[in-house]
Amino acid sequence: MMSVENSETININVLFFAKSRELAKTSRAVFAVESVVKTGQLLKQLIDRFDLSAISNCIILAHNENYLENLDEEIRLQQGDEIAVIPPISGG
Amino acid sequence: MIDDEAVNNAKERLRQEIGDLTAQLNAKKQRLRDLEATTTDVDDDSNAVSPKQNQRALTNDDIARYSRQLILPGFGVAGQLKLKTSSVLIVGAGGLGCPAAQYLAGAGCGHVGLVDYDRVDKSNLHRQTLHTITRIGMDKTESAKIALEELNPHCRISCHTRLLSRFTAMHIIRDYDVVLDCSDNVATRYLLNDACVMLRKPLVSGSALKLDGQLTVYNFGVTGPCYRCIYPVPPPPEAVTNCGDGGVLGAVTGTIGSLQALEAIKIIVGLGDVLAGRLLIFDGSTLQFRNIRIRSKRENCHICSPQPLITELIDYEQFCGMHATDKDNPLQLLEPEQRIDAMDYKALQQQQPAHLLIDVRQPAEFEICQLPSAVNVPLAQILDDSYLKQLGSQLDSKELPIVVLCRRGNDSQIAVQHMRNRFPDHSIRDLEGGLHAWSSQVDPSFPTY
Repeated sequence: MMSVENSETININVLFFAKSRELAKTSRAVFAVESVVKTGQLLKQLIDRFDLSAISNCIILAHNENYLENLDEEIRLQQGDEIAVIPPISGG
Repeated sequence: MIDDEAVNNAKERLRQEIGDLTAQLNAKKQRLRDLEATTTDVDDDSNAVSPKQNQRALTNDDIARYSRQLILPGFGVAGQLKLKTSSVLIVGAGGLGCPAAQYLAGAGCGHVGLVDYDRVDKSNLHRQTLHTITRIGMDKTESAKIALEELNPHCRISCHTRLLSRFTAMHIIRDYDVVLDCSDNVATRYLLNDACVMLRKPLVSGSALKLDGQLTVYNFGVTGPCYRCIYPVPPPPEAVTNCGDGGVLGAVTGTIGSLQALEAIKIIVGLGDVLAGRLLIFDGSTLQFRNIRIRSKRENCHICSPQPLITELIDYEQFCGMHATDKDNPLQLLEPEQRIDAMDYKALQQQQPAHLLIDVRQPAEFEICQLPSAVNVPLAQILDDSYLKQLGSQLDSKELPIVVLCRRGNDSQIAVQHMRNRFPDHSIRDLEGGLHAWSSQVDPSFPTY
């Protein structure tokens, strides 16, 4: 059962905020990813694909508006789910 | 011609005299306010009451002034009295701090403290709503105080005109109930966070850049996280953009600053659900507000866990590798012979009209002002080498001198370094100090921004 789920690739919507939007050169993108993936792996794939290495240590990820707390935890994604990439803003 | 000159001189003289008189007037007003603050505790209401009684009851003036919020369910007289006896510290009297202070003073917060080391500049006025053209050059704290006292003389305003540092932070923050982070740099954000954790003060943190804003309340409630729980590590300096370089719209800082005042009022009055454990993401370009549920306290947080590693304030500029201001520091990447100063470039223009002048600013900045004959190739296109295609055969001959410029002479050095690696035998130099130097040394009529 798990292996079938693991092998499925789905499309998610990635939203970029603040500095990540500048680096990715877009505010949103469709991204193909395994439906069951560790948060840390998803983060790494996003950093590689969207040139986010400059801010790799200060990004938070949110899955359907919920913070992904543990990089070692597996998450289940569904077609069309939303992942937000949120670096801090410091200006004011 | 002579008449024109005489008129211009007269205008200039009058402007100066008016400026001097305004400064004198402001200084006298300030002295009067200080004296009034020390000699009278009695309100300008007819029924004189002692300050203590004053805080337990609303005066007729209070009732008239705050009537629209007094009738709000859940706010009422009790809420107004809580506000009246509350004190809020606002760190940064800029784009966020001005609207926040305006709403807090307007709502009847009893005591507002303002921290800012900076002075009012013309480029502040589009977003820093308490300052005015006549107060350019004045301390931002004093300028904001004048505006706030005009709005609500019952609100006591304290000015802390200094850079918040690890040596001053605890002493200043201790006296306040709630702290607003309206600062503009990473080092101050970590400093404020740590100090507020140590002193157990809720921290209403707002930030804005370009059309983006963020807002959350740290260090509130039993499970509420602090800034370090969310961002344990500061971003690298090269990934941080300030408002001076990235730009910001006043209506965006105004939105976030107003919401900071709202959260402070809710904390003081005990109204509604405070934005703790949630992060509000504001995207002004699509006008979308997103509420992200963020983590609760990090178990091993260096500052807010039961066994903190940080037990006293540290050197935050060192920790972040950045200064606690939003001012740019001049880079020093190139050797002297790889640079040309503004006067020498003026001479070069005349002696060697055939040269390539590359302006590496963003197109929006290039549009504001540019030197004649400059070609606009933004820094990003230098660094990803797409400039090779754009400039084509102009780069073929190493006899053609190349001068690279930007606004202040930092990006131009990065560009020259990159280009020299590919063209080590070309003459490639950067204009030292950029267009700011051109304006101050060669052509005072050239605009600065």
